Amino acid sequence: MSTATTEFVAKDFKSDLKPIWCPGCGDFGVLTALYRALAEIGKAPHDLAFISGIGCSSRIPGYSTAYGFNAVHGRALPISLGVKTSNPDLTVIVASGDGDGFSIGGGHVPHIIRKNPDITFLVMDNFIYGLTKGQVSPTSGKGLKTVSTPYGSMEERVNPLLYTLSYGAKFVAQGTPADMKGLAKILEEAIRFPGFAFVNIQSPCVTYGEERDMIKGQKEYMKNLEEMNHDTSNKAKAIEIALEYGDSIHTGILYRDPNPGPSYTDLIKNLQEESKSKAVAKDKILEMFRPRLK
Amino acid sequence: MNNNLIIGMAGAGGDGVVSAGDSLITALALDKYHAILTKSFGPQIRGGESSFKLRVSTKQVRSIGEHLDLAIALNWDDFLKFGAELPISEKTIVIYDSNTGIEPENIPIKGKPARVFSIPIEEMAIKTAKTNRAKNVVVLGLISGWYGIAESGIITGIRNKFTKKGAEVLKGNEDAFYEGVRYAKENPISSGDIKLAQPLADAKLKLLTDGNDICAAAAIFAGCEFFGGYPITPSSEIMQLLSREIWKYSGVTVQMEDEIAGVASAVGGSFAGKKSLTATSGPGMSLKSEIFGLATMAELPLVIVNVQRGGPSTGIPTKSEQSDLFQAVFSAHGDVVRPVLAPIDVEDVFTMTVEAFNIAEYYQTPVIVLSDAELAQRKEVIDDIDVSKFKILNRKKPTEAELENYVRFKFTDDNISPISHPGMPKGNYLAAGIEHTETGAPTSGGEMHAKMIEKRTKKLDPIKKRSDLFITYGDAKAEIALISWGSCAGVAMEACDLANEAGIKVKLLIPKLIYPIAESVYNDFFKSVKKGLVVEQNYLGQLFHVIRMFVSTPDGLKPFSKAGSNPFGAIEIFEKLKAL
Repeated sequence: MSTATTEFVAKDFKSDLKPIWCPGCGDFGVLTALYRALAEIGKAPHDLAFISGIGCSSRIPGYSTAYGFNAVHGRALPISLGVKTSNPDLTVIVASGDGDGFSIGGGHVPHIIRKNPDITFLVMDNFIYGLTKGQVSPTSGKGLKTVSTPYGSMEERVNPLLYTLSYGAKFVAQGTPADMKGLAKILEEAIRFPGFAFVNIQSPCVTYGEERDMIKGQKEYMKNLEEMNHDTSNKAKAIEIALEYGDSIHTGILYRDPNPGPSYTDLIKNLQEESKSKAVAKDKILEMFRPRLK
Repeated sequence: MNNNLIIGMAGAGGDGVVSAGDSLITALALDKYHAILTKSFGPQIRGGESSFKLRVSTKQVRSIGEHLDLAIALNWDDFLKFGAELPISEKTIVIYDSNTGIEPENIPIKGKPARVFSIPIEEMAIKTAKTNRAKNVVVLGLISGWYGIAESGIITGIRNKFTKKGAEVLKGNEDAFYEGVRYAKENPISSGDIKLAQPLADAKLKLLTDGNDICAAAAIFAGCEFFGGYPITPSSEIMQLLSREIWKYSGVTVQMEDEIAGVASAVGGSFAGKKSLTATSGPGMSLKSEIFGLATMAELPLVIVNVQRGGPSTGIPTKSEQSDLFQAVFSAHGDVVRPVLAPIDVEDVFTMTVEAFNIAEYYQTPVIVLSDAELAQRKEVIDDIDVSKFKILNRKKPTEAELENYVRFKFTDDNISPISHPGMPKGNYLAAGIEHTETGAPTSGGEMHAKMIEKRTKKLDPIKKRSDLFITYGDAKAEIALISWGSCAGVAMEACDLANEAGIKVKLLIPKLIYPIAESVYNDFFKSVKKGLVVEQNYLGQLFHVIRMFVSTPDGLKPFSKAGSNPFGAIEIFEKLKAL
């Protein structure tokens, strides 16, 4: 998709705003990995648009020098679709969390996947509502005691990996700031993918999260897909791996469609190109209402 | 001679009632008459009863009118289902198909029409076209014969439609039409001359369209390049026309997964620098309203068309009502002023849609256009619109100098800050629904919040001076006033005419700018007024109350408001005026 025109370094993408996150928040690592990935890709900040909803992770657009839109809770995906289809030359990245992306905004996920625009969807998954101070989230494990589930959650968790694979996402990956190098690489691959790309990022909440989900805790059950020689074109295998969500943290690309075909944005550009010659001048647009006897 | 004619016809599905109405209005448009056509259907998706009501005149018609001059029943069961939509008075001539087997004195209608005729419509169809499916063509022949209208247009229409079906079918339909014409000439329905007067010699060329289609065309004309929406009655045709046309103009239409996504994508399109539109009806407005607030907060231009229908909740999806005015003015939380425009007829839908884009872009604000099912669905013959008189406004972009140290939400004299968009070098900024400083950085400081609210509100103040968004009509010094808006305004104009012709001095104010309330325009209008009516099709008197929030109205000004779906009639308003 994008070709480097100028050399960029990570700090070119870092804004002057100081993150409001708690010290030690996983999102710091995600942000750093993102800066690195963007520097590798080398597209100018003004050609990037970060779109987000509401939540800790949704603050990311403000921490980048790119164009950003920190919108309302749950609607980053449809907003991003409007941005990308209006200007397909932009690199559009959505920053979201498990609540924003899979609860209030969950209804948009299948539809953006089946449209397959060239947009990257990053979910900082920490199994909890952090910004609103510790309520149960759609990816919280069953039985989790939180301020809104004082007797333990009675619900099964959403499986973001399985969910997106089942809806037909052509690029599904998972990363964690516990492996910064790997995460930067995954983000770069996702952004470069010519279609809708989803990355679930196990970004721990240091304030409300469980010990097991902290960077240190994660390292004990992380499994590197590359080291496992996982074949990223094998969707069935990817689904098998996705089923382990919550028990293990597989890092790397679970699935990448080897023949992704044209994206939604490509199809739109094609249709516009084909239709152009049929346009009448705008000041003649009302001619379509000239009475005609059928 | 007649200058004005109202025809209503009803029949069963398959009788071709609606197609007869379409043929007739098209032929009349080509002859440069003015006309309005409304169609009505039973609740079935296919089949079921259908009807049309058509008003034709040599002068501009401002409403569909009230009682029928000619009522046509292909069968009585179906005709009666349309009750108030096809009203019969003592001036109405009623014709019906003899195959119903009912004697003229026994027809099942209330009241006493002027004259009633049993006519062998089906028999003539079968005799000529060998099928009862040509009943509608026979009726067109009858209308053409009695009123001396549309003969060449209808026959050309028949040729265009049936040539491809072979010579025999074509001849059958031509014969059916001329059989109707012949029958009409041999069997007059009135002793007087009921022929419709010729169109005026200087009549302009005509366009034939409805409020939804012309809204979509206006959007393209205004430079709209993004539409995001979700199907909903009665607004879907706006999305449908754009999905056919917008690609030719490098635009995009996206049918989204829900109403919220529809408006969210449009806000995204606007953020990306494109003129953006969404269209919906009441239930969709309720769902979208959080995003209206976002567009206000992020100062993003956005046009929202609400084709109102009966509410609340699912309400009456196919029928018109003007009950979403409170919602348009007040929805979305927080301190918000959001311009609301209301077109009064099909031509005005074009003007107000272009105006909505201009206001949205210039002031960087969401703008709501309140159309309604009546305007959206009625076909209207309108004079050619001179589009060269329209000015197209665009959002103010930052200059090179301003981009050197770009401050997106900079405080300026007119409170409008130049706006960049992704892709524009050096214009990078953070748009946000969260309160922000001039640069776009999030803030929770009360002082900045107050300043920003003031900026977002005051930038819209000049709109309140837009007296050109009002129509004043009637006797300027009158003590009796009418105020009406949207699709009711045309009937109010007719009522105003009736009153003045009857020697009762009345003036009428039609706000097309519903909000913000243009206080000075109302104050000027009220100077001579002692009493009057605010006519609108909702139960609560919504415009009446919103005006009174901002303006001291004369004590004698009362709401005359009623719920949809039966439209007001001019005589009804006139009677109410007389009783004041």
